[in-house]
Amino acid sequence: MQPRAEFVHWMFATGFLLLGLCLLAEAIVGTEVWRRRAWRAYLWPGLTFAIGVLMWPVMVFFTNSAIHMLAHGSWAEVLMLAGAAELGLVRGKLHSRYWRLTMTLAFVLSATALLVHEQNGWFFARAAFLHHALGWTLIVAAVFPLVGVFRPRSLLLNSGFALTFVVVAFLLFCDRDVAPVFGHLSSVAGTPHR
Amino acid sequence: MRRLAVVVLAALAFPAAASAHASVEYTTPHFGKRLQVSPKAVLLEFDQSVKALPHAIAVFTASGRTVSGPARTSADQRTVSAPVSRLGRGAYTVRWRVISADGHVVSGVFTFGVRHRAPPATEAFGASGPTTQEHVVRWLFFLALALLAGGLGFRLLIAPGELPAAAERRFYRLVGLGAVAVIQIGTLAFLLNAEDALQLPFGTFLYGDLSPLADGTRFGTAFIAMTLGFALVSAFVFLAWLTDRRVLLWPAFVLALGFASGLSLSGHSAADAGSSWLSELADWAHLCAASLWVGGLVQLAFVVWPLAPDLRRNSFLRFSKLATLLICVLLSAGIYLSVLRLPRLSDLWIASYGQVLLVKLALVSLALLWGAAHHFLVRPALERGAPLFSGLPRSLMGESAVGMAILLVAAVLVESKPPPRPAAPPVALHAPAAQR
Repeated sequence: MQPRAEFVHWMFATGFLLLGLCLLAEAIVGTEVWRRRAWRAYLWPGLTFAIGVLMWPVMVFFTNSAIHMLAHGSWAEVLMLAGAAELGLVRGKLHSRYWRLTMTLAFVLSATALLVHEQNGWFFARAAFLHHALGWTLIVAAVFPLVGVFRPRSLLLNSGFALTFVVVAFLLFCDRDVAPVFGHLSSVAGTPHR
Repeated sequence: MRRLAVVVLAALAFPAAASAHASVEYTTPHFGKRLQVSPKAVLLEFDQSVKALPHAIAVFTASGRTVSGPARTSADQRTVSAPVSRLGRGAYTVRWRVISADGHVVSGVFTFGVRHRAPPATEAFGASGPTTQEHVVRWLFFLALALLAGGLGFRLLIAPGELPAAAERRFYRLVGLGAVAVIQIGTLAFLLNAEDALQLPFGTFLYGDLSPLADGTRFGTAFIAMTLGFALVSAFVFLAWLTDRRVLLWPAFVLALGFASGLSLSGHSAADAGSSWLSELADWAHLCAASLWVGGLVQLAFVVWPLAPDLRRNSFLRFSKLATLLICVLLSAGIYLSVLRLPRLSDLWIASYGQVLLVKLALVSLALLWGAAHHFLVRPALERGAPLFSGLPRSLMGESAVGMAILLVAAVLVESKPPPRPAAPPVALHAPAAQR
């Protein structure tokens, strides 16, 4: 009794959307205002860590290919790591700002998993398009947490970082396994089969 | 630019699957199924259209004879089938390979039986059995489990109070390393087992269907439960570190010991002839005792001794008491399991399983002697208030190194097949009259 893959993608899309909106709110109002309630400081790092923990069931229950399993496992790990590092910084258990590079690592590794996973070109099929779009979004967006380590108060960088999660959520919401028009963009990909 | 925007919007307006490779939705016979009559064909139904490769479906007998004909694809290209000759009683292995609509080759293996138990996919025809890599990975798993469960047990039972900051940091580093390694190495062990069953080159293996292994074998079920369990354990350890609440280490410790049972519930003690709940329990107790002993020694030698000098004497004395209990559990469970798996004494030197067990027994004897020296020579001196013996840390490291060597031999033993049990004595031809 597994939920359909698309439902799982939508659930995680919801999580990423919440994450992106929290970050966007913090970027707009500023960290000082956002942290007037102490618990808010833990909100997005905690959510990132929780999404990472929840990714493990996806890894072990969706084993229809080894590469899917490995990709979900790597996302689970990097999300937990990035969330844990940020929680450690907020709590004062970690002190070096370079711990924030774990988010850059998370973006780059997630993107690599997506792009390695998809071996066809952008326009080969719709699924290929989504994989490439997600992968390259994360590669390009890795610059936000990377430069953000040195310029943590930049509105542009913080907004870009937040919007990355909104875009990832949007792309994940676009996944529909049973869409009536599961066509292919390329004629060499064969006839549409759904 | 406008064209690109149109393409992007068009692609997203007609949503698609992010997981595009074809997956098997249904097989006939179902994997792991015991059939009463021979099937006429083996049929695979996919969730999207596929192209059948030559010999897309091959059905093998247990001895490796091919009993399937050429594969055919249905009109909608979602079903591939291959006729089979009339199958006699026995176990059969199905290996399949098709090209998914997105161009990737997907493949898999499953088993079924005709009036015979279907073997697990890990014992399918063509699976080569455990390799050196698998022994090493299993050993690393044991070490990681010892770091995690043994470290937690030491902190909670032996040194439950405040630790100096540096010692606390090193404790969390070692336990955290154990938590991460248990998950990573567990996944690697599962993939190696799957690779062994599928017998595919690495590139093709990446697109191999692992669901018959994950869903249809004890090993797969244990992998699922243990991965989820240890992910939870690592979350608890992290929260304990983050919030400075040691109480959160208790659920982590209990869950770590509980989920370690996955190994016992999927190994010889659960699957071989003669196994029972008692053998499973003994195996689990054996594993837990070994993990607590080795992990505790590591904490004593690498955390308390160098970084918490005030706690050395107390920790050593308390660990010495716990170690006595652990050795009793280890020995009693180990002897019971040895007798169960080696019904004849001669198996010890005739069967390869027995020979590995002999090596393990030799190492265990060395560890016992080492532990006895600590217990009967060092402990009384420390209780009398004598100064700490300067060579003790090196001695503790030596004992933990022997413990790790025992775990390596245990890893080989776990992957080895115990000798078959002797057949039941034949029924007497001349039964007493009262029984006729």
